[in-house]
Amino acid sequence: MMKTSPTAGRPAGLVETAFTVNGEQVRFELDPRESLLDVLRERLVLTGTKKGCDQGHCGACTVHIDGRRVVSCLTPAVQVAGRDVTTIEGVAAPDGTLHPLQQAFVDCDALQCGYCTPGQVMSGLACLAEGHTETDGDIREYMSGNLCRCGAYIGITAAIRRVADQTKQTEV
Amino acid sequence: MKTPDLGRVDAHEKVTGTASYGADRVPDDLAYAMFAVATIGKGRTVSIDTAAAEAVPGVRLVLTRFDEDELRGPGFLMGGGFAFQSLQPLLSDVVAYRGQPIALIVADTLVAATEAADLVRARYEIEPFAVGIDDEGATSVLQEEALPWFPDVKVGDAETAYAASPVQIDETYLHPAQHQVPMELISSVVQWKGDRLVVHESTQNAGALRHGVAAQLNLDPADVDVISPYIGGGFGSRNALQPHIGPLALAARRLRRPVKLVIPRRQTFHTGSFRPVSRHRIRLGADPSGRLLAALHDADHQTSRHDLYPAMYTEITSRLYAVPNFGGRQRLVQTDVQTPGFMRAPNEGPASFAFESAVDVLAYATGQDPVELRLANDTATDPVTGLPFSSRHLAQCLTRGAERFGWQKRDPRPGSMRAADGSLVGLGVAVGAHPVLVAPAVARMSAGADGRVTVGVDGHEMGQGIRSAIALLVAQDLGVPVQDVVVRVGDTRVAPQHLTAGAWGTATALPAVHKALRELRKRLGAGDTGTVEVAAAVRATGHGSPEVEVTSVGPGQPPEMLDRSRAGLFSAAGPVFPDFTAFSWAAHFVEVRIEATTRRIRVPRALCVADCGRVASPVTAASQVRGGVIWGISEALRESSEVDPRFGGFLNTTLEEYPVAVNADIAEIDFDFIDEPDLLLSEVGVKGLGELTMIGVAAAVANAVFHATGQRQNRLPIRIEDVM
Repeated sequence: MMKTSPTAGRPAGLVETAFTVNGEQVRFELDPRESLLDVLRERLVLTGTKKGCDQGHCGACTVHIDGRRVVSCLTPAVQVAGRDVTTIEGVAAPDGTLHPLQQAFVDCDALQCGYCTPGQVMSGLACLAEGHTETDGDIREYMSGNLCRCGAYIGITAAIRRVADQTKQTEV
Repeated sequence: MKTPDLGRVDAHEKVTGTASYGADRVPDDLAYAMFAVATIGKGRTVSIDTAAAEAVPGVRLVLTRFDEDELRGPGFLMGGGFAFQSLQPLLSDVVAYRGQPIALIVADTLVAATEAADLVRARYEIEPFAVGIDDEGATSVLQEEALPWFPDVKVGDAETAYAASPVQIDETYLHPAQHQVPMELISSVVQWKGDRLVVHESTQNAGALRHGVAAQLNLDPADVDVISPYIGGGFGSRNALQPHIGPLALAARRLRRPVKLVIPRRQTFHTGSFRPVSRHRIRLGADPSGRLLAALHDADHQTSRHDLYPAMYTEITSRLYAVPNFGGRQRLVQTDVQTPGFMRAPNEGPASFAFESAVDVLAYATGQDPVELRLANDTATDPVTGLPFSSRHLAQCLTRGAERFGWQKRDPRPGSMRAADGSLVGLGVAVGAHPVLVAPAVARMSAGADGRVTVGVDGHEMGQGIRSAIALLVAQDLGVPVQDVVVRVGDTRVAPQHLTAGAWGTATALPAVHKALRELRKRLGAGDTGTVEVAAAVRATGHGSPEVEVTSVGPGQPPEMLDRSRAGLFSAAGPVFPDFTAFSWAAHFVEVRIEATTRRIRVPRALCVADCGRVASPVTAASQVRGGVIWGISEALRESSEVDPRFGGFLNTTLEEYPVAVNADIAEIDFDFIDEPDLLLSEVGVKGLGELTMIGVAAAVANAVFHATGQRQNRLPIRIEDVM
């Protein structure tokens, strides 16, 4: 009897993979070499997530998987099967209202060219959630995986500081 | 009048990820390209085996050679052409440098293209190569002989005056090669729409791309559109045609499909330009009070074998001070690399590091305070031409900066200041200057019945904020909300799109926009000043959408320069204009702390006081200062492109191995603007800022490290081992 392969009926080596992106279910037949970054950009046309190095060095491709920040360039897309992926496109409210951190990036002019900005926002959200905002020094350390060649670091730190302080006030 | 603080007009798109950069297009039926690159330092390919690559499922094309009649050489930007270098890969068997593309693969998917590129195998004839300026086989030419149109600056008799000077300083400085590494990779989406070629590529020079690829493929430039509304960082890396566009366009035509290429980060270190290595011997002659009598600046400047990329270091070092005798001598050293080129403050960064470090040596040699010594050597006229400076508030930058920084609390003795935690503290100062250059521009402006004003103009938005500065000018002039101004830049469909570089973008675009506003006001029947009710005025004209088009050129530029610009050629002029010489000026103050045990060097605070003319857009200008100072800190303490003496090319070709300043490296950066309009230059009164803000920072850091340790730093980057 012939053995049934899990990929029967598909080109060799493709793996059927289902996960959610910004709350929407997606399903693809993936080459295991495809990165989550390339699937987001090239298959889902969610191009807010950027490719800055494709080697995990720059942070421009940062997304959240089940609420944790990861560099999507080093994440094989087949590994996110059954998990929840959030990208920059899923951060603002459905009516378009900016998330307070996005608004703080605008107000603190935390960007120049804007290319690293989606990754900075995704990392900034995680930095806040992780509680790495006690001091500005903490923010700088925990945001140092996200390079900004334009050098908008002071604005980025100020934006995260602003949201951290707002959150603290709300809690008190 | 001060310009009001308004934000960046494209910030919303950037924080939501909706701003569209070069590779952010995914047209139907898109194919993906990848280069295979040469693995030898120099030589020729004897054969290229592409069979394995072609056998990869999904591969559609493997190209190793184009005919000269389908793909012509693009010409070197600084030699009357369009490209960052004259050498066009895939036209011959010559391998001029490691990392040069030898095959182009196009496939249905990115994984297939990547796999196939890895399977291309070449056999080579290897030749000896030189990658360092002191390597055997590197050859030198004197620039003024090889490129007489880029002469050395010479004033008076510097050798004699130096020999007769009571105080003589003679120091040599080494500045490493560096790469721009903008966050966005070099990337394109190239698409044919019938006979029309559409290139989506982030570029600072859409005009050169249009005309360059048209010349390469024998197309009418009118049939090429280059669209580049956002750029993920430029810093000089995108200021010319790059050699991938021609091959991509030909591949797209053969396949009748759009093609995307995103060049991997490793390859970008060899596929684009870089800041060349330079060595500077600075000799200063002075009287015992520190008054300068002579200065000599000899520079060795790396270039490639195939192009002579000119050095212009002495353009600023001859003008920082009242030096009556100046001798410049620049040599070009040819090595086996891709042609180096412009990187933020291309000449001024290394030149100011060398010269301003030597001036600090002079201050200590004569017992003068480094700020006072600089003030004592100030000049109101250009020592090179004798013309007045259009404006020079450098002394004010220094005095205001010294006050604001707390310079008077500095104990000048090296190693004399310590922080509470035992760190050595050093305070350093240096000045910088950047030539004011202006290019021709075309501006087209229209007003709609909805009250919106649309302006299309020469310029490219790479994060410096040109879109915001233009929108602000229009909004202020007409008294309309800034949200009602639509700015189109970086698009050959609205203007020629001359190169935006050399900090001339705003100074070039704004005068044209200013002129267009005058014409639009006439068309709308409005006065030359005062608020305009745009919607009502448009309706009153009886025309749907009145449109005006104007052109502008730099001071004293002949109108023919506009024809050059329209042909995609370099057309900027300055800093010497018919009646004056124009520079932007800055003073930088830096504090370093060196940890007592680890010797780690930190920069807890820096201050930049800049004279950039009128501040056209306060929010984005502030960001330009912070970013420029960070570049200077990164230049001083982090960045160096190492060459590979075994295999040629560059060695540290990742963002891990080529470190740039990260968030944790940066603390307080303070700034202040003189904010005096330079009305000799234009009615708008702006000079330039984007490059100025890093010029002098590296010297200020090095001078601060000397103050902290007593050890002079004549080589960048300064590392822990240099302060042990």
